[in-house]
Amino acid sequence: MEVNRVLEMSQPVPTTDHQQGLENIARFGFTVVPDVLSGETLKRTHEAVYRLAESERARHRELEAFALDIGETANNQRLWNVLSRDPLFEDLVEHPLALAYVKDILGWPALLGNLSGNICGPGCAGGYLHADQMFMPEPWPTTGPQGLNVAWAIDDFTEDNGATRVVVGSHLRNCSVPMEEMTTIETVPMLAPAGAMVVFESRLWHQTGQNTTADQHRAGLFAWYTKSYIRTQENWFLALDPQIRQFASEEMLTLLGYKTTGFGMVNGRSPQ
Amino acid sequence: MSLPVDLKQHLERDGFYIFKEVLTPGELARARAGLERGVEITRELMGGTHIPSLDPNDANIRVNNLPGIDDVFIDLLMREDALQAVVETIGEHFIISNFTANIALPGSGSMNLHSDQSLVIPEPWLAPWAVNVIWCLDDVTEENGATRYLPGSHRYTKRSELPDDAEAKTLPFEAPAGSFVLMEGRLWHTSGKNRTHDEQRRMMFAYYATDFIRPQINWTLCLPPEVQARMDERTRHLFGLQPMANTRIGVEMTRLATTT
Repeated sequence: MEVNRVLEMSQPVPTTDHQQGLENIARFGFTVVPDVLSGETLKRTHEAVYRLAESERARHRELEAFALDIGETANNQRLWNVLSRDPLFEDLVEHPLALAYVKDILGWPALLGNLSGNICGPGCAGGYLHADQMFMPEPWPTTGPQGLNVAWAIDDFTEDNGATRVVVGSHLRNCSVPMEEMTTIETVPMLAPAGAMVVFESRLWHQTGQNTTADQHRAGLFAWYTKSYIRTQENWFLALDPQIRQFASEEMLTLLGYKTTGFGMVNGRSPQ
Repeated sequence: MSLPVDLKQHLERDGFYIFKEVLTPGELARARAGLERGVEITRELMGGTHIPSLDPNDANIRVNNLPGIDDVFIDLLMREDALQAVVETIGEHFIISNFTANIALPGSGSMNLHSDQSLVIPEPWLAPWAVNVIWCLDDVTEENGATRYLPGSHRYTKRSELPDDAEAKTLPFEAPAGSFVLMEGRLWHTSGKNRTHDEQRRMMFAYYATDFIRPQINWTLCLPPEVQARMDERTRHLFGLQPMANTRIGVEMTRLATTT
């Protein structure tokens, strides 16, 4: 019956209505929020992402291989510890529209596990289908997703330029992708205009798409949030540029683990 | 010390196993001396040794951050017998989450009954994701405040399975000084009351968790730089002191272009 329900689904219509967005995530596993970044903000963010990518390449600091990517990494550049690289990226992590989804789906306090980037260029062969909470042994908790990814479309995400592809409704299976379905199951591109936010929950099966264009690059930034008991991907206390913490808002300090209870204590207290 | 061959069966049946008199007299003396120092240091700290959220009165002396106080505690955490016991319980991918001491003096009371996993991990609890290695620095008896456990409670998958009279059904972990109790994260337990007039009951809780669970202690901030600098690669890894954390899946295939 679950399978039939999945087959009946189409895709969510992009919406700026938060309640509709939550319903889309519950039903489809994701929602597209258009026009969050626009004008000068989008332009500056776009420039910052490509400047960072260029700097990494110039210094030969780009990854040779990332486990979830297929093919030549020259065509699919990964960016790590993005939050430390430009204060502009703070605004994405703590964007009120993003945090509204985090709070409603994961609860509060939540943590920022990582902010990473991915630029899929011509020849990008895509990635392996996976769910972001695949690090958890199965069966997974029945209480819903343990994490949430907010993908920022820095360029238009189109079917041809490598838009992230998803198995619509796969979050309802509440498990990692079974081996036998890895290459056979139908996926659809998450289409989003530049400046949109694509919010998808941690059980949704997804992968980097293939870029079949001759000359387009597709940059995305991925803010990965989790419930507060999950270990972050990035050790912020070691990896984060101190000035980001110094000027961080209360909400950002919570997301980074500086305001805490039960976990991540220092002398039996919250670090700040 | 080699592990009992049927350790896994014991753990599945009971949720715990007691390794008796593991420490030599010399190791025991060194651990006791380290803890004494820890108590002195902690008395000078702002929070002191009483944690009101855990204990009803100040007859429980709590010492946090043992690995930051004396290397003897890092040695205890990294002992092969303890680590092997941890692997048997929660698998090879784990990190050190916490290491604290609880000294029960005469008149000490009891905490609330809990399982370590129930405090923070969403239901259902189908497998152990954490484990305590409880080091006994004194002979631990029911009278002097042995930790009490609810038999069979490691099989509860949700809170509603807990019986109404859970507290009354608990039994003490009794063990001679120098032993450790291996207790998996789903077993419901509480600290006992020290009803003696003149005995102290010193126990230390080395808490390990699977590597996707956030550690209770922020080791990067807590451990003095010179302590971190002394650590070998494996120890640093188990304390999670490297920049990347919850990225085990795939990390073997991920590397910088300039490295080989």
